[in-house]
Amino acid sequence: MPLALEQLLLLVGKDLKIEARSRQTVGLVVVLGLLIVTVLGLGLGGDAAAGFGATVVLWVAYLFSGVLCFEKTMAVERSDGALAALMLAPTSRATLYFAKLATNLLLMAAVALIITPAGVLFFHFDLSIAPGAFTGVMALSLLGFAAVGTLFAAVVSSSRLQGGLLAMMVFPIALPLVIASTQLMLHRFRDGLPLEPGAVGIIVAFDAIFLTASWLVFEIVLEP
Amino acid sequence: MKSARSILTVAFWLLVAGLFAADLCLLQTYTPTEVTMGPVQKIFYFHLPVAICTFLACFITFVASVGYLWQRRTVFDDLASASARVAVQLCAVVLVTGMAWGRGAWGVWWTWSPRLTFSLILFLLYCVYLILRSSVEGRQRRATVAAVYGVIAFLDVPLVYLSAKLVPDIHPASIHLETSMQLTLLAWAVPVLLLTGGLICTRFRLNRLHSQLAEQSETDGRGFEVMPLTGNVAEA
Repeated sequence: MPLALEQLLLLVGKDLKIEARSRQTVGLVVVLGLLIVTVLGLGLGGDAAAGFGATVVLWVAYLFSGVLCFEKTMAVERSDGALAALMLAPTSRATLYFAKLATNLLLMAAVALIITPAGVLFFHFDLSIAPGAFTGVMALSLLGFAAVGTLFAAVVSSSRLQGGLLAMMVFPIALPLVIASTQLMLHRFRDGLPLEPGAVGIIVAFDAIFLTASWLVFEIVLEP
Repeated sequence: MKSARSILTVAFWLLVAGLFAADLCLLQTYTPTEVTMGPVQKIFYFHLPVAICTFLACFITFVASVGYLWQRRTVFDDLASASARVAVQLCAVVLVTGMAWGRGAWGVWWTWSPRLTFSLILFLLYCVYLILRSSVEGRQRRATVAAVYGVIAFLDVPLVYLSAKLVPDIHPASIHLETSMQLTLLAWAVPVLLLTGGLICTRFRLNRLHSQLAEQSETDGRGFEVMPLTGNVAEA
């Protein structure tokens, strides 16, 4: 196994072990996500939002839960000078970035596994029409969202900025993902049309651009 | 030397004001009124050049941010900050004129048309840039964080544009302009471009002076940090 991959797995294992012992992030994020789905469901009304509103409501839940996830996983490194120790470790900054990204993706996947069925249930969203399309589009979108979120969480953490700033930085950047994926879902589930290659292309381009850009600038972000 | 610069500055702003006044006269006397939309269409001659100059200002922020990450010279950070501020101001003008146009043409102040949505997201992206600058402590750290965000935000611009186009549009796909209309548009582009350049240069000069003052105070070992420049003069 290549050394970088071995280091990456070690770092992800460390983060997951911390999470398993403290159980701070997933519990908090799941409850927040469920609260968002409930509040929006009540606000929009079951009938008004029936079916197609679910994708938008789920996106709102993913966005806020995701930001909390990114913040928490980076905050762990801030306490007791853990970030400084991590930077002294003989591993590249790229490995650190991809390890944090992988942790965030795993945590978000766990959260999505609970929030999504809740959204489907509350909004009578018929996922059986195209479960593969839904899973694929959401997975690609969450990858891009996590790529940007992980980078900016490092910015916020290493600059000792207030937590609220992370949401403000990530949300406008992630809007192309939200627009493209909600339009795709509307066309697929409401209109019964196949996935539009142009919209899928935007999501894939977003992932490719921001994974590369984040990987390139992560080292600069972590500079003291 | 200093007074010569002041005279040049005053002359420049008088020229810009004069050109705007001349363009207004041109709009009243020479430019024909569009048949479908009526007089409200005349907003277009100001709206389009301002929108183009907004992208120009965003692009300058991007190039200066890359320059800062590459060279670590404060001059690039000062330029990025100046152009981002101007981009936000111009984008606000684009939004207001776009909304006024929408009200006149379609009877609503706001519609989620791709172009208006794109302008709004662009405005928000660069507002965050400015807020970020005022939130980070330490000059070097602030410049680095802002430069990273400046690069990421600009990379997002084409994706925002493409994704906004997925939303149904009520804008005309293309507008045919007569020669007189094209000339009016060109005549409006000149003062708007000069205004953009003038605003960026003025703000850049102010940022440079501010940076030099901060560097001076650090060299003198006075041990205090000059507050980041904000729109509020009292805070600075």
